[in-house]
Amino acid sequence: MEMTSRERFMAALKGEEADRLPVISVCQHATYEQMEKLGSYWPDALYDGKLMAKLAGGAYSILGFDAVRVPFCQTHEAEAFGAGLKDGGKQGLPSVKTHPYKIGDTVDFPEDFLERGRIPKLLEAIRILKDTLGDKVIIMGGIIGPFSIAGQILEVTTMLMEAYKRPENLIHYVEMGEKAGTMLAKAMIEAGADVIAVEDMMASLDMISPDIYRKLAQPYSKKQVEALDAPVIIHICGKLDRIVVDIANTGCAAISVEPVVNVPGAFEKFKAEGITTPLIGAVDPVNSLFQGDVAKVREETAQCIAKGFAMISPGCAVPPATKTENLTAIVDTVKEEN
Amino acid sequence: MSSEQEILNRLRDGVVEYENDMVINAANEALETGLDAEKAIFDGLVAGIEEIGRLYELEEIFVPEMLLAADAMYAGLNILKPHMEKKADGGVRGHVIMGVVQGDVHDIGKNIVKMMFDVAGFEVHDLGRDVPLEDFIEEQLNTNSDLVCLSAMMTTTMVGMPDIIRKLKEKNPKVKIMIGGAPVNENLAEQWGADGYAKDANNALKDAINMVASLRNL
Ligand code: B12
Repeated sequence: MEMTSRERFMAALKGEEADRLPVISVCQHATYEQMEKLGSYWPDALYDGKLMAKLAGGAYSILGFDAVRVPFCQTHEAEAFGAGLKDGGKQGLPSVKTHPYKIGDTVDFPEDFLERGRIPKLLEAIRILKDTLGDKVIIMGGIIGPFSIAGQILEVTTMLMEAYKRPENLIHYVEMGEKAGTMLAKAMIEAGADVIAVEDMMASLDMISPDIYRKLAQPYSKKQVEALDAPVIIHICGKLDRIVVDIANTGCAAISVEPVVNVPGAFEKFKAEGITTPLIGAVDPVNSLFQGDVAKVREETAQCIAKGFAMISPGCAVPPATKTENLTAIVDTVKEEN
Repeated sequence: MSSEQEILNRLRDGVVEYENDMVINAANEALETGLDAEKAIFDGLVAGIEEIGRLYELEEIFVPEMLLAADAMYAGLNILKPHMEKKADGGVRGHVIMGVVQGDVHDIGKNIVKMMFDVAGFEVHDLGRDVPLEDFIEEQLNTNSDLVCLSAMMTTTMVGMPDIIRKLKEKNPKVKIMIGGAPVNENLAEQWGADGYAKDANNALKDAINMVASLRNL
């Protein structure tokens, strides 16, 4: 029997039988083509709750995915901490331009954190999505991981060097990142988010060692997962074979990975440790979705299914110039392969 | 007084162990004892960076350690470079322009590539990050550099590369262009008319040396 997106998604998280694998995008999924179709464009859709919700809804109405997610950019927490932003124009995303703190400073956690910057707009978008699509599809609220927020409020190069030499000097900033993300996630859940997706792009072995991950990232992610009353999906970009068990040990509901990750290897390690955490992924966002064609996406989606992913998702943020047909090809393949 | 080999070892080990002071002391001692600066750089600092590159490839060390090694390496290079003997061609292997394309502020990778070029004796004109198209063109005209290296880390910004490549080649058909950054690949480099692509800093340097050598042989 055909399930709704909600049922399918929740079944997949729990490891239960479903009519087919869910297709979602753990990271941002807006594209220029969806903007045209929906009449909601960057940069406006990054600053206005209604337009944000409208554009995010495309994942369901146009792509046929089983979840919709906001936001598109990764700057809400940093902005609320006082970071200066650089606008990304029509084509790109806003990004952090000036870092509010340097190592040694004490962060004065803003009492009115949830009223700052564009956080109210983001929460409004979630409320709208819940009202309009909440009975059909999963609403995902996206936050940034504790270590990555620290990497945004401090200058990242000096932070990375300090992470190796004197990790204890960074604990304060990671704690603040955890506090901010958890607070935002709780507000998102209250606004109607079913699931929290944490992007922790800097907690990757492309950036740090397993040792630093264990000291400065994992314990704070674990604390965050434990504080939240909704399933938490952790997404870390790039290489993570040597920390995949540590990520699972945060207690997260699922881990979202990129194509570089050794999936059979991860399942083997999980088995040895008695871990059942599902993996989500990993259609190559650049080589398949953006530069590839429908045939290539289909082939890779089939490979992802064979590898044992519990849900199929682009491996990382969807490039905004991706063609709609390449994204719907993921859904079509999953339906047929069933 | 330390032997030559002992000084070289300390230059190398200082880089590998991220000990700026060890490198600084060894570099000063090298100058005091009349050790050839070029030898100190290549058999000391470069040997250290090569070891760091090897450990990075094996995933025994990661980006933080790479940045620390770069810092130590520069501490030595800043002392030794002014004492390199001037050669007929100005003592440099070639001039390279480097920058991260407009809209993109990811510069950690670019800085690691830059370090390899600096230490290998190239004169690097670093334009930084979020560099407007025109700046690459202007800098190329001003410096007549042999090679332009473009970096991009996002799919939204890498699409600015073909334009830069076309305009650079229009102004100076002889200039060599190399591109890199995580979303870029060999196929794109070819499609966009770049002369090369490298997946990491070590390969970037190897390719650059070949490209510049091929220019000189013309
Ligand atoms: C650190 C980081 C940041 C830092 C950058 C700090 C800095 N000063 O560089 C900050 C926080 C500022 C940042 C911001 C953003 N980021 Co960011 N970031 C990263 C991250 C975690 C690591 C990149 C990195 O430094 N890698 C380490 C270096 C050593 O590797 P590398 O750059 O690949 O370089 C090597 C090679 O590529 C090569 N190379 C590099 N350049 C060149 C050039 C030449 C000529 C050659 C030959 C070789 C070469 O040699 C290097 C050394 O071996 C990646 C995710 C990841 N885990 O990879 C995301 C990532 C690149 N960012 C991403 C995004 C989306 C953003 C933001 C838009 C997020 C936002 N909304 O705030 C902004 C955009 C900012 C902007 N306008 O540019 C996406 C890009 C998606 C895509 N494919 O398009 C990624 C992949 C993460 C993600 N999916 O969310 N980010």
